[in-house]
Amino acid sequence: MAAANLNTIRATIEQLLANEFNSLFDSIPSIDAIVSIDDSNDPGLPTVYPVVFNNVPYAPTPNSTWVQCQLNFGNNNYLTMGGTTGVSNSIIGIILVNIFTPKGAGAGANFTIGKRVRDVYNRSKVSGVIFDAPTGPEVMAPPSPEGYFQTQVRLTFETFEDL
Amino acid sequence: MAFFRGEQGSVKFDDAGVSAAAITSTRSWSMTVEKDVLETTSLGATYKANVGGLIAGSGTVEVLYTASSSDETNVFIEAANTATDAGIASFELFLDTTGTKKITFVGLITSAEYSATVGELEVITCNFVTSGAIILSI
Repeated sequence: MAAANLNTIRATIEQLLANEFNSLFDSIPSIDAIVSIDDSNDPGLPTVYPVVFNNVPYAPTPNSTWVQCQLNFGNNNYLTMGGTTGVSNSIIGIILVNIFTPKGAGAGANFTIGKRVRDVYNRSKVSGVIFDAPTGPEVMAPPSPEGYFQTQVRLTFETFEDL
Repeated sequence: MAFFRGEQGSVKFDDAGVSAAAITSTRSWSMTVEKDVLETTSLGATYKANVGGLIAGSGTVEVLYTASSSDETNVFIEAANTATDAGIASFELFLDTTGTKKITFVGLITSAEYSATVGELEVITCNFVTSGAIILSI
């Protein structure tokens, strides 16, 4: 087998979140973009929100609802003995999902989105990526950027690299 | 000066004692070589005297569980549960990746601990003892 493709892992993880909040789209050619429509006039569709990923420019509308996903690869560890072939490494990363909802409107809407975020990843295994139990949604004070009610859901994930 | 790191090591094993094959997903190994001590102190002596006696070895190999089957790794982790064991299994414990620095001996697996812990990789710990000569090519 080959070394892990971290960009493929990133895309896999981000696609899961994009699918949850951008259900109008069957597939997203490039996750390196914001793709969402909040169509409140169509009750037949699940509520969708803008999802912003790493290094994507986005200017949120004041008092709007949006989701920010930050993915980082962290510790890489040896798993097994041997040389450079027939051995395995562990790749561990963290997903931070910030949820922004209008200020002064209570926490319910925000926590509802938080549940959807948790449900996307909670103890699941997708394409060889194992997601741990999420933490949150935890209220972030002060919010960043200001002007919203912000919570954060975060979780670690692990995948194995077979060389 | 050359130094070595643990990931350069490896383990080979063959329960039939013919041709040792690599144990995949080995996480660690350790071995202790012990020598019996026989006291030969003379009556009236001030200081004790000792000579070496019989030599034996024992140790541990940690393997990550991978659900492997029909290979030597599978045999290795199940060896402790064999009904009869003639103690003829061959072991090779390597210290580097060149394949020349190793400890070779015949022995048997005496125990295996299978464990699963939430959030952690599943590990099988096998303990062994030697039977006969221990060859240190280190």
